[in-house]
Amino acid sequence: MAVVKPEMKSYIWLQTADGSIQQVEEEVAMFCPMICREVLQTGMGSSKNYAISLPQRVNPAILGLILDYCRFHQVPGRSNKERKTFDEKFIRLDTKKLCELTSAADSLQLRPLVDLTSRALARMIEGKTPEEIRETFHLPDDLTEEEKLEPLRNMTDDPRIRLLNRLYARKRKELKEREKLKNVEVEEEQHVDERSVDDLLSFINGADEGKLETYLTSYIYCAELLYFLHEPDCPTSSCLNGDTGNVPSPSKPSELQDSAYVKFSPKLDFDDGDIDDELDPAMKEEIDREVEDFARRLNSVWPERMQEILSLGQERRPVSLSVNGNGSLKRYTGLDGR
Amino acid sequence: MSHSFPEQVLKHLFSFLTSDKDRNSLSLVCKLWYEVERRCRRSVFIGNCYAVSPEILIRRFPEIRSLNLKGKPHFADFNLVPEGWGAYVHPWVAAMSRSYPWLEEIKLKRMVVSDESLELISTSFEHFKVLVLLSCEGFTTDGLAAIASNCRNLRELDLGESEVEDLSSDWLSHFPDSCTSLVSLNISCLGSEISFSDLERLIARSPNLKTLRLSQAVPLEKIPDLLCCASQLVEFGTGAYSSEMRSDISSNLEEAFSGCERLEGLSGFWDVVPAYLPAVYPVCSRLISLNLSYATIQNPDLDKLISQCHNLQRLWVLDYIEDTGLQLVAASCKDLQELRVFPSDPFGPEPNVLLTEQGLVAVSDGCPKLQTVLYFCRQMTNAALVTIARNRPNMIRFRLCILEPRTPDYLTLEPLDAGFGAIVEQCKELRRLSLSGLLTDRVFEYIGTHAKKLEMLSVAFAGDSDLGLHHVLSGCESLRKLEIRDCPFGDEALLANAAKLETMRSLWMSSCSVSFGACKLLSQKMPRLNIEVIDEMGPPDERPESCPVNKLYIYRTVAGPRFDMPGYVRIMNEEAAP
Repeated sequence: MAVVKPEMKSYIWLQTADGSIQQVEEEVAMFCPMICREVLQTGMGSSKNYAISLPQRVNPAILGLILDYCRFHQVPGRSNKERKTFDEKFIRLDTKKLCELTSAADSLQLRPLVDLTSRALARMIEGKTPEEIRETFHLPDDLTEEEKLEPLRNMTDDPRIRLLNRLYARKRKELKEREKLKNVEVEEEQHVDERSVDDLLSFINGADEGKLETYLTSYIYCAELLYFLHEPDCPTSSCLNGDTGNVPSPSKPSELQDSAYVKFSPKLDFDDGDIDDELDPAMKEEIDREVEDFARRLNSVWPERMQEILSLGQERRPVSLSVNGNGSLKRYTGLDGR
Repeated sequence: MSHSFPEQVLKHLFSFLTSDKDRNSLSLVCKLWYEVERRCRRSVFIGNCYAVSPEILIRRFPEIRSLNLKGKPHFADFNLVPEGWGAYVHPWVAAMSRSYPWLEEIKLKRMVVSDESLELISTSFEHFKVLVLLSCEGFTTDGLAAIASNCRNLRELDLGESEVEDLSSDWLSHFPDSCTSLVSLNISCLGSEISFSDLERLIARSPNLKTLRLSQAVPLEKIPDLLCCASQLVEFGTGAYSSEMRSDISSNLEEAFSGCERLEGLSGFWDVVPAYLPAVYPVCSRLISLNLSYATIQNPDLDKLISQCHNLQRLWVLDYIEDTGLQLVAASCKDLQELRVFPSDPFGPEPNVLLTEQGLVAVSDGCPKLQTVLYFCRQMTNAALVTIARNRPNMIRFRLCILEPRTPDYLTLEPLDAGFGAIVEQCKELRRLSLSGLLTDRVFEYIGTHAKKLEMLSVAFAGDSDLGLHHVLSGCESLRKLEIRDCPFGDEALLANAAKLETMRSLWMSSCSVSFGACKLLSQKMPRLNIEVIDEMGPPDERPESCPVNKLYIYRTVAGPRFDMPGYVRIMNEEAAP
């Protein structure tokens, strides 16, 4: 390797926007097309007084990075693997630095570096939501809802659905409590219970009837609330009194479970512990039937409710609903598309 | 922005982000990014052609080079969407011909394409390269002739499973001799004759041809000649795979196939004569994709063929494969990702093959990468589904079609709620699900509770009440497409979850219990939805409002009501306007 005496090496003088001037080995600086052009076309850069003014986007720190890059890559003998390894290490910078680097490299027309940093930034953006991208790059959230044209937020955020879920969860908890109590009672009375089965049944019946009504009320309340949140101008008093006069009492003396959000564990076993339902299978069957009953009752109650809601200014004619109206029993014909 | 980029740098950065999802995210970050992104977007996917108008598209994205457009709802494949419903591409082509002179690609699915549109495409876009028409209709070979004549740089012509009227067999001759740019040609849907000499010459002068799918009209004898000029093929679809038995055909075929060293995918195989199957054995070990869905081959020929395809990732096959064949697949094809088993005799009253739930269980057990399933069968059990779910928690698309509606678990006679419940609970990445068999509201509860990444759900003859629909609409956070037929779902769940509909691409409900009155109400509340009532029996006004509508198609749109619909389609919004 030839020994190059320091005084024989050529340097290019560069000035950054803040006024500071530095000298850089010629072959390194000339790796930047913009600098190269300046040197060749204007002759600038040969001394401190004639330093080449770099674009504003190139500050001293970033210039240092760029020159590191150039210093490495301008050496002709390197293999692709070496270059790649260098690049991979080189771009391990924070977002801010990467952005500045991209900008600066672009102003110096150093295309390979622009591509390298852009790809790194793109990888950081890939798969992220707009909010996450905004956070990464410290960007303002200045698009209006209309501009975004993203219809609605995620449904689980919807206050109506959350309310319904909370009510269900509360109901479920209440019913579980009751079941625990009942079990305790049964155990205590095991030896001394002289009440007839009928007495017991009617006791449970009576307790449940009230609960059923309250539950139905709260369900209907919720459903109406859903509806009313669409129509803020509708007066709420008359409809939300929980007038459940039409609701027949349950025929089965069983615990009513709000099955909607309870996970029924199927008859077959699962390995994971996600299923938290602790009720026994026999009771679950009862509950299924209760749910179906309830759904049917809901169907029969809705027409009246709908009439009330609708007569408050929307439609003239009531919407009566046909339950279980089903069209023709067409066979599931046809093949899914190939 | 604390790191300020000049626009061209931002544009350059954006050029590295090409997926639709990422582009959409970019556009929603802030005003500046929205502006920059829209001006440099090259490719747009529009899942519902009526969700937006050509004018809006052009106004927002001036630099589009590639458009992907879908028209009719998926249930059109089952003939549930009547003739003339809509999805005409012409307004799009007309608008783009004026504004996108640099357009290169048009990809359509389930749209009506006329010869006029094809002619306009062929003459408006000088750099036009790619035309993909999947399940489209309305055009003839004259339109194809225009494309062939005028598109100088055509790279891809894919007619998918379109319905094309064959007016002349010589449209292939319209490709000028100077056309050498073809990379992909799929004419498998064409019915009638084509000129073999034109085809041969075209293939011979297309050195970049990677995909060639022939139509049934191309006989077996022609394949050796064709393959000799196209030994660089990666995907090949045969024509009719039958001939009078001649020994030289066999050896020629085998030689021709062996010569295709890059061949990875095979399809076609209409009217297979099993004696000629050994000709493809040399390529089997390289195959990644095998489409035998038109091949009436049975075991043991089928077995012998598939057992050699150790690298298979995608298998489409008829149920002639039977459980035994699928067990072989499970043992031989360890890289299998996608399995589709189609019924050979869907309308027969009795099963004609020994294909049961066991076949699918075997594949789910033996193929660790299996993530996409479409399975037609006649019987299923909860136990099998639970096993499948446990074996394959990586499942992404699961479509089970038990041929007879409302078929219960044949061992326990129970609904299949628990089985599908297991699927949605175990397969946390599930994006597409088709249900069948006897199902109650409970399966929907499972789905609403667990299927948080589910994007598309197909339901038929299932459920007991509105509770079922309510579970799905309120629970499935990622739901984009919901299609329902013959289920007892009515007004309540729909109205209570009206807001959800704006977060979805579309909802289809046919032969359900949604009343005309509810449709009216919905349209009044949701101005950004098009509520289409499709009723071939006459205008719904003439019946009481409580009467259920025959078919209902609801989709979000920023283009407002459309005006190109036939008489039997009613867009409810028009009435909602004061």
